[in-house]
Amino acid sequence: MRAVPVLLASAVAFAAIEGAVFHSGLYTWILSPDASTGFIQTVLRNERERPKDGPQVLGVGDSRMLLEARLANEHTPETGYTFGTIAAAGATPRSWYYMLRDTDPTARFYRAIVIAAESYDDADKFEVEADRAEDLSYVIAHLGLSDLWEFSRSYQDPSLQWRAARAILFKGLVYKRDFEDVLVHPVSRIRLARVAHRDSFAWYYKFTGPPETLAGFRVDWKNKTLDAPPNANPGLVENLRFRLLYQLPDETGNQSRYLKYWIGKIYERYRGSPTRLIFLRLPRGGFVRPDQPSYNPHSSVRELAAQPNVTLIDEHFFDSLEKPELFVDELHLNGPGMDLFSVMLTQEVSRILGPLR
Amino acid sequence: MLFNTPQFFVFLVVTLGIFYVSPKPLRKWILLAASYFFYMSWNWRFAPLLLSLTAIDYVAAIWMERVESPRRRKLFLVLSLAANLGFLGFFKYYNFLASMLAEALRKDSHAFALSIILPLGISFHTFQSMSYVVDVYRREQKAIRNPVDYAVFIAFFPQLVAGPIVRAHEFFADYYTWAPPIDEEKLRGVLWIVLGLAKKMVLADQFAQIADSYFQNLAAHPGAPAAWSGVAAFAMQIFFDFSGYTDMAIGMALLLGFHFPTNFRRPYLAFSITDFWHRWHISFSRWLRDYLYIPLGGNRHGSLMTYRNLMITMLLGGLWHGASWNFVIWGGYHGALLGLERVFGRKHFQEQPNLLVYPLRAAMTFLLVCVGWVFFRAATLRDSVYVFQQMVSWHGKAGLIPLWLTCVLALSLAVALLEERFEWIERLARGPAWAYVATVVTLLFSVELIGVTEKAVPFVYFQF
Repeated sequence: MRAVPVLLASAVAFAAIEGAVFHSGLYTWILSPDASTGFIQTVLRNERERPKDGPQVLGVGDSRMLLEARLANEHTPETGYTFGTIAAAGATPRSWYYMLRDTDPTARFYRAIVIAAESYDDADKFEVEADRAEDLSYVIAHLGLSDLWEFSRSYQDPSLQWRAARAILFKGLVYKRDFEDVLVHPVSRIRLARVAHRDSFAWYYKFTGPPETLAGFRVDWKNKTLDAPPNANPGLVENLRFRLLYQLPDETGNQSRYLKYWIGKIYERYRGSPTRLIFLRLPRGGFVRPDQPSYNPHSSVRELAAQPNVTLIDEHFFDSLEKPELFVDELHLNGPGMDLFSVMLTQEVSRILGPLR
Repeated sequence: MLFNTPQFFVFLVVTLGIFYVSPKPLRKWILLAASYFFYMSWNWRFAPLLLSLTAIDYVAAIWMERVESPRRRKLFLVLSLAANLGFLGFFKYYNFLASMLAEALRKDSHAFALSIILPLGISFHTFQSMSYVVDVYRREQKAIRNPVDYAVFIAFFPQLVAGPIVRAHEFFADYYTWAPPIDEEKLRGVLWIVLGLAKKMVLADQFAQIADSYFQNLAAHPGAPAAWSGVAAFAMQIFFDFSGYTDMAIGMALLLGFHFPTNFRRPYLAFSITDFWHRWHISFSRWLRDYLYIPLGGNRHGSLMTYRNLMITMLLGGLWHGASWNFVIWGGYHGALLGLERVFGRKHFQEQPNLLVYPLRAAMTFLLVCVGWVFFRAATLRDSVYVFQQMVSWHGKAGLIPLWLTCVLALSLAVALLEERFEWIERLARGPAWAYVATVVTLLFSVELIGVTEKAVPFVYFQF
């Protein structure tokens, strides 16, 4: 045997099999819908396979973007628009970009993309969103070699940059945990994947929010105390305390730079397209901190507002939902809150888009 | 720069590239520079130490060869050994001895302690250097005249930090008649590197997580199944870790045109403790035999002296691994087992048993070896005793090794048995190309999909 051809053949065979299994989407078929990558795959597959008659509107955001498409579509006869959503728990603006890129490859299919922003002021958050390692697991199935430089460089931490670059080259590194589970339970995994492919649309579409509320909680902003009802979940109490009473992080402009980059990239995809980008500011919670971030006229979304196909829904549009009775925890609307939010959003978006011509 | 990091592979590729494009006379300088760069990438402060020991042994060997007087020859030998053992003793055993002294004087155990960082690979390069000096003293090896040649022998990066402990005549046989590796050697070299990487990242590092979680928090894992699986996990970790490292070292050396001796020969398939030591860390066992056991008298002075020599050798072999009573006990335990096997008939434990008896004997040997690993891995003697208590207890429910890893291990055992019978790994480079390609691709996939890749886990033997 001659060494160089054999070694080259080994490298080529490895790259070819790696590519065929992990870069082609073959493995994503079997991913657990409970794992990060599988969860995003499920959400995107649901949207891809959803019957789409008439003009479409797509919601994007994280777990707080609780647009119930089922409820929104009950209004389709009046509005003429059909709603879908790819909002997913833990998804960030960076993930939204790649999720949108795969869901709407021509960037012209939807009449509107409704993007849920946490704030219109780009305030810094407790976590540095640019260094959110989980984003890699969320979008790995949608990253190609051409994303290697941009995606990995979008992390600030060099170790995360390196991890992202390696993962884009060798996607199996990200699917490792999932693969180990497949090794142990291959049959049950195939069964689970089949069930997910068949039923997942209904899981999400028929989802109704939880009935629990924050009624009974009281916040004393002056003394920075939180009174909880006696039977309150300790985890919930601690999360509320953290969210409402902890000192907000100092403004560094970090989050603003991050948002301008990724929201800017989403905008660039839709620049000149018939699709309208509609931003909304999410209801902030059952209790609203008095020390809200200061008004930022140069935030990512406010700077985009002047663009012809961009609309910002009034940032106080959902203020009426910011009541303890409509929230289940420190961040999320409960069932009744979701219903109200969905109806309000559907009507407002339909109003912005105007009657069908 | 660990062998299992991308940085090391960049270093290796660059070194190989520069080595092969350079004119022949420059190549030894390139090896030396690369080896010192590799060593200094850990801690540049220890480079003068490595250089000093190299210079001392280089000069001592030349002087030993020059003088005829046996007394003066012995003096140079003693000076050289004193320098090596002095450095080794100070860096490795000072705090151990200081704590014993403090305890004897009823002072705080840290009363005389110093903040000492153990220079990387000191146990290996001092032993390699000492073997050379002793060989010159015995006139079994000619003194090396060129200081660069000798420095390359001591600092050669594939085996600098964790062996195998290569003898001077083996190294210089390749060095002075150097020829580039033939195609088969190149293929074997790459295969050993990939195989070693897979052993380390797929098996050793996975088992390390289990062994660490067990031994670092014994109280959290009560019961016999947890104890046995924790100990078995460590047994697997240390074997795959160390033999993985050695495989990589052998592979790299092959790519550079050097042939290292085998250091592991499927030790967990051994049918006796005697057989185990013919298969485990062979270069070290050989060193102990040639430079300690035989000089002590070996088996030449009757049974009692043989047992004594065996015990001394194994106790010191244990102590070589680290400054702790646990290592001494581990060595003593193996010394006792070797002695017992001699009592019951040496021949019986050296000759391969028939196929019916073999599995039983191999399982028994593995169990005995695992018992020894408890001393090796537990942090203290008290922890060792606790682990033994758990191992013989009747309570506890589940073991710690997950099913999938057990399956991977079973597959590895099958591969080892096939290798024992057919030595197919060595043959693979001569066999059909598709078999070689399939093996390399499988190993690479196992690293990608099963290996611990989130962080580079240091090799166990680096601490020795």
